Amino acid sequence: MENLQKPKVYSVSELNSKIKTNLESYFNDIWVEGEISNFYCHKSRHMYFDLKDEYSKIKVVMFYRNNKDMVFELEDGLHIILNGYVSLYEKRGEYQIIALDIKPVGKGSLILAFEQLKEKLEKKGYFKKELKKKIPIFPRKIGLATSTGGAVIKDIISVLNRRIDNYSLFVRNINVQGLTSGSEICEAIDDLCQYGVDVIILARGGGSIEDLWAFNTEVVAEKIIECEVPVISAIGHETDFTISDFVSDLRAATPSVAGELVILNKFEFIKNLISAVDKMKNLLIVIINKNRREVFFLINRKVFLNSEYLLKKFWQRLDDLSLNLKRNIEGIILSKRLVFENFKYSISEKDLISKIRTFYINLKNSYNNLDTGIINYLNDKNIKLKMLMENLQNRSPVSILSKGFSIIYKKDKKTVVKSINGVKTGEEVKIFLKDGNLLAKILEKYFKKS
Amino acid sequence: MAEKQKKELDFEKAIKKLESVVKDLEMENISLEDAMEKFEEGIKLSSFCLKKLNEAEKKIEELTRSEDGKLITKNLNIEDN
Repeated sequence: MENLQKPKVYSVSELNSKIKTNLESYFNDIWVEGEISNFYCHKSRHMYFDLKDEYSKIKVVMFYRNNKDMVFELEDGLHIILNGYVSLYEKRGEYQIIALDIKPVGKGSLILAFEQLKEKLEKKGYFKKELKKKIPIFPRKIGLATSTGGAVIKDIISVLNRRIDNYSLFVRNINVQGLTSGSEICEAIDDLCQYGVDVIILARGGGSIEDLWAFNTEVVAEKIIECEVPVISAIGHETDFTISDFVSDLRAATPSVAGELVILNKFEFIKNLISAVDKMKNLLIVIINKNRREVFFLINRKVFLNSEYLLKKFWQRLDDLSLNLKRNIEGIILSKRLVFENFKYSISEKDLISKIRTFYINLKNSYNNLDTGIINYLNDKNIKLKMLMENLQNRSPVSILSKGFSIIYKKDKKTVVKSINGVKTGEEVKIFLKDGNLLAKILEKYFKKS
Repeated sequence: MAEKQKKELDFEKAIKKLESVVKDLEMENISLEDAMEKFEEGIKLSSFCLKKLNEAEKKIEELTRSEDGKLITKNLNIEDN
């Protein structure tokens, strides 16, 4: 018995330390697959959870330095595959996996991160319709945050040029991908707001989910939500969806579409304006004709001396308005013509020119229609007036003229001189006789002795 | 900003008003006097819209910050293809 070696007695610490060394060297750099449960993130931002399968589980810790660059969030029930090593927490004698990297199983990390952020923001109510601001139809200042070097800005400008000849675009250059992209987008939105634009387009061309990543980050989403100016998100192709599309006030399927959504089509708009004016004119003519029939009816039944004067007043106002209208339209035509002349030299696209030509022809046609409309209408008016005059002839004071009386008007031909107090000595007057009128001058005034 | 938004509103309001003027003129029982008034208003609204549309100038500028951090704009030349 004395020969027997005394058994080696470890202290607890010694044993744990030895186990730890062995574990770490044996289970160095391993991959394990399982489901997360009991997830807990300490305020030191180290993460703790159990990884389990149907029958068994193991403790896992992931320190902050390893989890800080992870794009998606860990949560209970998430199916993952992790890389790390097995170690021992000596204080409690518990073994655990130290995780260095974690990937979701079944989908990419970015897609998972996208889905998680989308769900989170949706829960916060960020996608609600009530939050969406209205895009002004005619913004004075358009803000654009994009890369000034790419094709995107050219596309947008070319669409804008097709729609309107006088817009103000303020471009804030940003890197649309890369590490700084997210914070640059936020800065650009702030700067454009501060400068006082009426709407902001956030634009980027198509790319992979990695390329578009900045537009899927929480900082950008929060910035868009807090932005007081309406934001149009125009990221990638029609099939690309980003978080910024969901939180912005309007999603444009592509950057070019953003150019169409951000401002009215001026050329279209003027066309519509002209047809509205046309329509109003035609409606008014219908109403006037209807009223005229009623007035004729009255005149034929009883003497209604004021009717001629009233109608004259209406015609005069209508004439003034028609003239104004004609002048306005001529103004448009002239200014458009100048614009199109300029366009001819600055634009090479043939279809653009032909579009403008068609538009110009339409404009000219509607102008011509309007013009002949007014002329026809005025002719019509004259005929009707003549009829009215004939109708009135027997009752009108004009018929007295043929009996040798005359009417003295002031020079403006509007005011009838009824008293010698109505004119001054030296004033010129018009005297209406049955076959014409005379221009006369008051030489002296004699008051009637009563 | 506030003033600008007000102006903006005026333009959009004018369009809405114009639409309602046309609708009013389409009413069967409108009196001649009202119709003349509406027509006049409609013409005024259309010229107002036109004036607003033609007021602005075309410009494309880049917004940057100067060295002392101030917001500045400079003309941006982008070839429109």
